Amino acid sequence: SHIQYERVGADVTMKCGSMDWDAAVTWTANGTDIDESHLNGSYLILKNVDLTQGGQYSCYEGSSWHLKYQTYLRVGTPPKEPVLMCRSNNYPKGFYCSWHLPTPTYIPNSFNISVIHGTREMVCEKDAFPKNRCHIRYLQLFSTVKYKVTLTVTNALGKNSTTLTFDEFAIVKPDPPESVVAKPVPNNPRRLEVSWQNPSSWPDPESFPLKFFLRYRPLILDQWQHVELSDGTSHTITDAYAGKEYIIQVAAKDNDIGTWSDWSVAVHATPWTEEPKHLTTEAQITETTSASTSSFMPPPTTKICDKGAVVGSGAVAVCWTAGLVVAAYGILFI
Amino acid sequence: MAAADSPSATLRRHDLCSRGIRLAGKMRSDVVDLLDTYVERQGLDASASVAAVEGVPAAAVEHWDEQTGTQRLLENLAAYRAFRTLLAQMLEEQQEQVGEADTALGRALAAVLLQVSAFAYHLEELLRLESRGPPSEEAVGSPSPPHLGLFERKMRGLGVLRELAQWAVRSARDLRQLTKPSPGSSSAPSPADSP
Repeated sequence: SHIQYERVGADVTMKCGSMDWDAAVTWTANGTDIDESHLNGSYLILKNVDLTQGGQYSCYEGSSWHLKYQTYLRVGTPPKEPVLMCRSNNYPKGFYCSWHLPTPTYIPNSFNISVIHGTREMVCEKDAFPKNRCHIRYLQLFSTVKYKVTLTVTNALGKNSTTLTFDEFAIVKPDPPESVVAKPVPNNPRRLEVSWQNPSSWPDPESFPLKFFLRYRPLILDQWQHVELSDGTSHTITDAYAGKEYIIQVAAKDNDIGTWSDWSVAVHATPWTEEPKHLTTEAQITETTSASTSSFMPPPTTKICDKGAVVGSGAVAVCWTAGLVVAAYGILFI
Repeated sequence: MAAADSPSATLRRHDLCSRGIRLAGKMRSDVVDLLDTYVERQGLDASASVAAVEGVPAAAVEHWDEQTGTQRLLENLAAYRAFRTLLAQMLEEQQEQVGEADTALGRALAAVLLQVSAFAYHLEELLRLESRGPPSEEAVGSPSPPHLGLFERKMRGLGVLRELAQWAVRSARDLRQLTKPSPGSSSAPSPADSP
């Protein structure tokens, strides 16, 4: 069946096939009769068409209702300059380019991409998914010759194109690190152990090692702290605020070339804090009124109490108070 | 390859490779800085394209992942020996051009020349461990650069430095490949072991 493409805002004139201008006809749009005010003789005039006016237009001879003409009207726009991006997240295997239109055209578009390296034309193989993407295998490595990628988008109403020029090293950007895990360190209230893995898309981390950038902050603060790590896939944070929940992210970069990856998925962790066991025990001692306190142990990490190491309700009160003072001071500090 | 398999040879190779990798990293960083200085002092446009220059070893290579260890060493050595000559020429020309021996650009060129020489030495040592020994230096094919005008010489220098920057990256990769345990890496070409 016949398809007719028109630009948004255009004036459209449809002729009823081979019917004379003065023939008596009826036009329908999607099965609904069109008012005669839109007709000029047997011609249908649509002024300043908009997207809602797309659909099936049919023209019938006046008395016999024979279908004389039919078309499917699609209203759209010619393509604007497409947005093109090329990146190598699997260096040194190759790179991919992906594109999109900044605004929709509302009609079908076709894309054509050309990749030229020096005098050589390379084939960018289209991915099945996502659709607007293709990938290229490097034939040469360490070349100073730039790559020139031109994307042309065409539809029934026009065409547009854009070109990117870049060198092999500039577009290298790994995917973010994977499986980021952050754990408290037992008996260490200011430490968090972070580990991660190389992105699975990076084919050869042994020959092309990545370096990493870690950032972390307590949820209650806006300021990030940063650590750059030239090797290894783990790091221990040693200056965490006690008892505060942290948000942690990691990014990766090839050791020598390219740019940093996006930040990884954020993980949350809170440093180890001691259980306030002595509070429960104090309450129990008061309740039971028993003199037996031999099973009581002073809180293990409160250094002030270590010197005393005394079992007894008097010493317990001192320990507990000291601990409370330290905690209160700590909160004031933050 | 009996010598190459002995534990001390393996250790020495590993040591040379590690140091070579660090040297290549430093060299690259210094060459990138030198490029900035060179472009500025010579009044060039940093984005200017330079056509492939005769006598400058191109770092670009096909089937890089399929090269044997020996191929890598030989190609690297040939390249750095060439750069040694080219940089020495550039230094001389620069001194003639400016009329004084000690300028920031001259010092930077001399520093990179030293690193290039050191790297060439590393490669020669690695080749000795391969029981192959480094090839003798050829009688210089083009003893003096073709007679070029001042601008052409400057552009040639730009090409030399850019290519050297690429080589520094490639060399680090090549040496890392050498440290990977791979059977028969020094013998006839084996199937590519990286994906």
